[in-house]
Amino acid sequence: MPRRPARTTVVAPLLLVMALGLGACGGEDEPDTPAPSPTETSSATESPSDSPSESPTETTPEADIALTFEGGAWTPNGVRVEGTVGEPVTIEITSDTAGELHVHSTPEQEIAYGTGTSTHEVTIESPGVVEIEAHDPDTVVVQLEVR
Amino acid sequence: MTPLAGLLPLDPVPVAHGLGGAKDLPIPTELAIAGAVAALVVSFSVLALAWREPRFVGEAGGRPAPAWLDRVVSSTAFAVVLRVLGFAFFLYVGAAAVLGPDTLINPFFGVFYVWLWVGLVPLALVFGNWFRAVSPARTIVQLLGRAAGTSPGEGLYAYPARWGYWPAALGLLAFVWLELVYPESTALGPVRLWCAAYLAIMVIGGAVFGERWLEHADPFEVYSHLVGKLSVWGRRDGHLVVRSPLANLDTLTPKAGLTAVVGVLFGSTAFDSFRESTPWLQFVQRQGVDRMWPDTAALLAFSIGVAIILAVATTLTGVDDDTPRRTLPDLFAHSVVPIIVGYIVAHYLTYFVGYGQVTLVQMSDPLGTGADYLGTADYTPSYWLTTQPALIAVLKVAAVVAGHVLGVVAAHDRAVRLLPKRHQLTGQLPLLFAMVGFTVGGLYLLFAA
Repeated sequence: MPRRPARTTVVAPLLLVMALGLGACGGEDEPDTPAPSPTETSSATESPSDSPSESPTETTPEADIALTFEGGAWTPNGVRVEGTVGEPVTIEITSDTAGELHVHSTPEQEIAYGTGTSTHEVTIESPGVVEIEAHDPDTVVVQLEVR
Repeated sequence: MTPLAGLLPLDPVPVAHGLGGAKDLPIPTELAIAGAVAALVVSFSVLALAWREPRFVGEAGGRPAPAWLDRVVSSTAFAVVLRVLGFAFFLYVGAAAVLGPDTLINPFFGVFYVWLWVGLVPLALVFGNWFRAVSPARTIVQLLGRAAGTSPGEGLYAYPARWGYWPAALGLLAFVWLELVYPESTALGPVRLWCAAYLAIMVIGGAVFGERWLEHADPFEVYSHLVGKLSVWGRRDGHLVVRSPLANLDTLTPKAGLTAVVGVLFGSTAFDSFRESTPWLQFVQRQGVDRMWPDTAALLAFSIGVAIILAVATTLTGVDDDTPRRTLPDLFAHSVVPIIVGYIVAHYLTYFVGYGQVTLVQMSDPLGTGADYLGTADYTPSYWLTTQPALIAVLKVAAVVAGHVLGVVAAHDRAVRLLPKRHQLTGQLPLLFAMVGFTVGGLYLLFAA
């Protein structure tokens, strides 16, 4: 059978690929999930909370994330929360023991908390997924998607 | 993935989790879909339109390299210089491993997990099988051989051909298990122990089987050999030749266990992405047991799964009498190498650029004494790339799709060489679907994790 020039057989699909790729890049870069807001705190509504919480749907100086450590287990367990570069994320921790959370940002940060309920702030300076990890037992409590 | 660290050299945080800090954002939906569609389109275009006679001619292909380059690279002096440099580097990092502090400022971790494991790929793409030239294990085996007076390359026994690359597959599995699953993967003791065991096994095997043991059992050397086949360098009759990467890939000798090696390399990278996804994280943390057990099971499942899919996809075809069906997986396994490289680039690019620079800083102070032996202690790593998530996402998808395209072309050429005429198109379909599946799966993991 007659052979097509080899070059066109590779170039044609590649052009199509490039066209598709450029088309996709031209579109919005938005993720499908909504923009960062404290209403993302399904964690606040789920946790068996002893924390003195105001209504979890308010948008202001409310904790973005509420964490509870009770009976040797963390709630919530590995949720993803949206954040914005350069803006502080408020974390409310309720615990029956003192400890430390390691925030795996670049550079790393630490949140030391005591017993009872306390509020902390952490700010991430560059985009990425930042894991917040507790120890004993080793648990990733939150994955912060910072854009 | 062992994340990216921003630890400055004097930061004494002695944490025992993975290297690093923030990880990459998931790629946007449109980009993932565009990549998947591109992969599909190219795959079927190649199937329908590409050549019907094999184009690559294996060892016979390629142009001789410029004579001066051939003279330099083939000279004994060059080989000796590389061995000496490689061994000196090994001793320097070894000193850090043995005498340095058990904290993340020790450059041993960065060299082992980033410079060696990730850096192996770009170095091999540019220089070919570089690890063989500098490998400390090979240097030791050669020195022992000289001291014992045995002829180079020989041991007490001949290396059994049917073992093929299986020992390397196991070695690679041991490495990725240490890196991705073992909870103390950044504690000095365990990593040092792993390296000591690796050296011992390589040296003892080298004494028993000669240097052929290293060619088949050293995980890093086999990995570097495979990726090196995508470089332009080859050898023919002792001389350096230059070939196109795909023509060079065609010269990869299929041996037993090649499918397993490819399965571990691809499966482990896929697992690395998978274990950071929210569903797996939540599942694994909800169990009462130590995370290590479900993670080990998943790593094995991914690695063995990839190898099985490959084996099934390549054997579902009609064959000539002179090609036994059971040899088909190893005959086609080379075509997965570009897909692996594409996925490694997608997954580890920012990690390599970021933590690679941190390691450069740490290398000046191997013993944790605040020294500055190499002058890099004051260098500040640049995280510019991390501030460009859109660029990163495009690079990732481009790398995965490019790897896929090369893989499909390589598989196509092998198919038209091996398969009887009436099975050449239909016989490729299962493998094509498997490769599209790998690529789409890979893109999905980049999107979801």
